[in-house]
Amino acid sequence: MQILQQWTEANAFLIWLRESSSIWAYPTVFFLHTAGLVFTAGVSIMINVRLLGAAEELPTAAFGRFFRPIWIGIGLTAISGLVMLASDLQTKLGNRVFAYKMAFVVIAVVLTVLMRRRVAAPRVTASTRALAAASLLCWLGAVAAGKFMAYF
Amino acid sequence: MGAWWVVPVWKTMHYFAIAVLVGVVGLVDLRIVGVAKALPLRPLQRLMPWAAAAFAVAAASGYELLRINPANSFGPPVNVAFAAKMLCLVLIGLNDLLYFATGLKRQVDGVGAGERASASAQIVAGVSLALWAGVIYWSRMLTFLAGAI
Repeated sequence: MQILQQWTEANAFLIWLRESSSIWAYPTVFFLHTAGLVFTAGVSIMINVRLLGAAEELPTAAFGRFFRPIWIGIGLTAISGLVMLASDLQTKLGNRVFAYKMAFVVIAVVLTVLMRRRVAAPRVTASTRALAAASLLCWLGAVAAGKFMAYF
Repeated sequence: MGAWWVVPVWKTMHYFAIAVLVGVVGLVDLRIVGVAKALPLRPLQRLMPWAAAAFAVAAASGYELLRINPANSFGPPVNVAFAAKMLCLVLIGLNDLLYFATGLKRQVDGVGAGERASASAQIVAGVSLALWAGVIYWSRMLTFLAGAI
């Protein structure tokens, strides 16, 4: 942990990210994080909304194709998130809301993996709906925790 | 200005509403552009009222956030990011108007499973996606550009 801390403090890129006032430094990484999350959460939320009963004439199996863009979004969010975390390791890890945010995100990502197969199933079962509701709440939780982090 | 949690609650609503909006826009526009062609567009476009409802929530929460901290957006000097975000929204409005008023929406309703949307529909969808990316970009820049020229 200490070695990691020292590395993040000495790394030239992370120093630049922390200290540069350029709009291409921290703000750009933050934008990539937001864009990835908004897209991933948004598309996942709407797939969940469909599974919970909206627009029932939509064949759910076809949503399978959207999982690739969703994974690209998750990757973008995760990489930019890790970069921002490394640039400010101590403050972020010391924030107690951060743990909640990570919990919501990890569960949401696990649910995304499970959902891929549920979407391809011929019928939307009660357990699929339960997973969809849980996923919806996790994305809401992740967004809320992200916003509340600034106040702790 | 009320309890400490008022602003983060409005921000959460604003952010979540934009996510729902981008979710609907992303699904419909990406399908029009050519992703997941197995989805028929008529039922997919039935999700649009969700986007309209989310827009109302985003507008109301956005208005509250502006009222609580007007200086962050209006300055003086006016926040460039705020102006650019509003410009993107106006352009989205015009692009959507074009989509609904010219009959493109109805034409796209006829695009069934496995079929390709027309080139004009694809252009409008592509412009919409780019403008929404712009909205998110300038939203993120709001705090960084407050007080800059």
